[in-house]
Amino acid sequence: MKYLLLLTLFLGGFESEINEVPNFRLKNLENRTVSYNQIKGKNLTVIDFWATWCKPCVKSIPEFVKMDEEFEDSDVQFIGISIDGPRNKAKVKPFIRSLGVEYPVLRDSDSSVMARLRVTAVPTLLIVNADNEILYFHEGYKSGEEVKIKNKILELLEE
Amino acid sequence: MKKFTYLLLLSSILAIVSISELKAQLYGTNTFEFQYGNLPFEEDSDLTTSYNQLNLYYDQGNFSLFGRAEQFLTPVSEANYFEFTQKRFQFQDDTFRLRVGNFYETLGSGLLLRSYEIPGSVYEDEFSRTRYAFFRDLEGVAFDINLDWAEFKAIRSEALQNLLPPNFEPDSVRRPDLIEALQATFYPNDMVSIGGTLIRVNTPNNSDFSSYASIITNIQLPANFQLFGEYAFNTDSELFSFKTDQSYALYSGVNYYKGSFGGSFEYKNYSNFRLGSSGFNDPPSLIKEHTYPVLNRSTHVPNTSSEHGVQAELFYSFDDGHSIVANYAYTVNEVFRRNEYREYFLEGTFKVTDQFTLKSFVDFANDEPKLHKNRISVGLISDKGFGNSKNLILDLQYQTYEESFQPKKIENYFSSISFSLNSSLNFAAIFEATTEPGLTDNPNTFPRIETDPRTWLGFNALYRVNTSNSIALFVGKRRGGPACTSGICYEILDFEGAELRVTTRF
Repeated sequence: MKYLLLLTLFLGGFESEINEVPNFRLKNLENRTVSYNQIKGKNLTVIDFWATWCKPCVKSIPEFVKMDEEFEDSDVQFIGISIDGPRNKAKVKPFIRSLGVEYPVLRDSDSSVMARLRVTAVPTLLIVNADNEILYFHEGYKSGEEVKIKNKILELLEE
Repeated sequence: MKKFTYLLLLSSILAIVSISELKAQLYGTNTFEFQYGNLPFEEDSDLTTSYNQLNLYYDQGNFSLFGRAEQFLTPVSEANYFEFTQKRFQFQDDTFRLRVGNFYETLGSGLLLRSYEIPGSVYEDEFSRTRYAFFRDLEGVAFDINLDWAEFKAIRSEALQNLLPPNFEPDSVRRPDLIEALQATFYPNDMVSIGGTLIRVNTPNNSDFSSYASIITNIQLPANFQLFGEYAFNTDSELFSFKTDQSYALYSGVNYYKGSFGGSFEYKNYSNFRLGSSGFNDPPSLIKEHTYPVLNRSTHVPNTSSEHGVQAELFYSFDDGHSIVANYAYTVNEVFRRNEYREYFLEGTFKVTDQFTLKSFVDFANDEPKLHKNRISVGLISDKGFGNSKNLILDLQYQTYEESFQPKKIENYFSSISFSLNSSLNFAAIFEATTEPGLTDNPNTFPRIETDPRTWLGFNALYRVNTSNSIALFVGKRRGGPACTSGICYEILDFEGAELRVTTRF
């Protein structure tokens, strides 16, 4: 028991930068199961965990719509992952489309992919490279942070 | 013996890691929470607790392993535990997935089976005050096959009764129901999916099995309409009879969007449909899920013995960032007596400038199951950014209602102010007050009954050290009560004292 805590503290002392996104599978808004590898970007993939009831998420989505259009020619693929449960099933599709989202949106209704990617809050944004390595992890959203996220995408595209 | 098995499993993982040539990764999360304080009004006024949750993942090629360990320590030795609460082996390729151990699965809309996890949440048991992760998983085996034209799932597992803590004895009581399920979904074309589920349940002290089935469909109609529905029933019941003595659940809906406009309409009808002794299904409640504290606490939990109702929602997003949401929900259940729940909700967001947003809501409800009449809730939230690094949010909410047998109107107040810097530092002060008699009275002073308004004042600080580590500190009083996250409702207990949480990803 004590050793487990010690191991945790030891591991927790590191700042991890690289972890891979496994090839998870989720249903899309058309009720079809798709895998991450099927829809990921050729260059970068931006994964946004959100929910219809999450106010900061709803605020951030129009900014991602703008970025999705801006980076269309840079092989950057945006993916939205809604953690709404069955209770909000009916609302997710019309809601996200009314915000102008055209990128793929998947449903993680039991939060299992969220847990696997070590995400503990929404919104959380991940930027992943073509080798599935997580290069950037951003939790929460406040006005103005879209500039920071956009600069990070530009920086990663230049590398 | 059990711990030895897990240690052997961990050693095996490490052995595989060291000898394998395939690319592998070992990663995880850890949440440590320390509380110094107590539940208000409790006699034991300085109960100090520490809770730790470690999640370890190991991926190699198509294989993955997962384990979770939880530890809880208090001065009350009977409540202490160290348990491996989850473990999973998984194999997955492009079409096939096998899971052995603890996993999550929701069939259809959850009418027959729903499991879930609320990541990062720590639940406190009201009776033993033991703290543990809040999830309802399945333990057993599941495999699924995904083809272009169809999907198949097979499950044999036991669902967790998550109101019992991990150290509850005997352990078998925590997983009382054996569930065997088969689901097939077919895609005749891109517009239509149709499927069915068969589920068989064996509950304790019952040698017979109960069987249920469902029909599920999802149709993309022209002009951005989507139609979906699920009808589930006990196989001993009359099909589509909709009689009150039968066991069935019907959930259906339609949604639509065009440009910046979206809308949805849903219908539910449940009768005698709480499954198993653990209640492992979760028919949708069809009441809007609110995150505003005054409304989140007032949510309606459906009574699956007898309930039907509708929910409609409309939203519109304006080009300049403004938006409006309108929701109507009506539900009625007839357990002992007829109880109606009716709610009207309107929310508007006004983007004053790129750096300044105002949000407001108004909600009116008559909630007979809770004996609340003319419940009015209003709120105003101002969100102001300063450059790209500073942000100030002011949140004011008020609620009032009449309650049967109470001479005066009841009032609830919520206010918070939060400031964030560089998205790594966040400070917040939260003040709440209520005149609810059930909360103002101190049960320890019986027969005296306190009626003065009760208040809570708390302070939160969050520091994200880097992308892997964060530290959160709460000091003060925190109001408890029912809370809903991701559609899952549970009870949070009051707390008074200091709480430190350290979250680590590695």
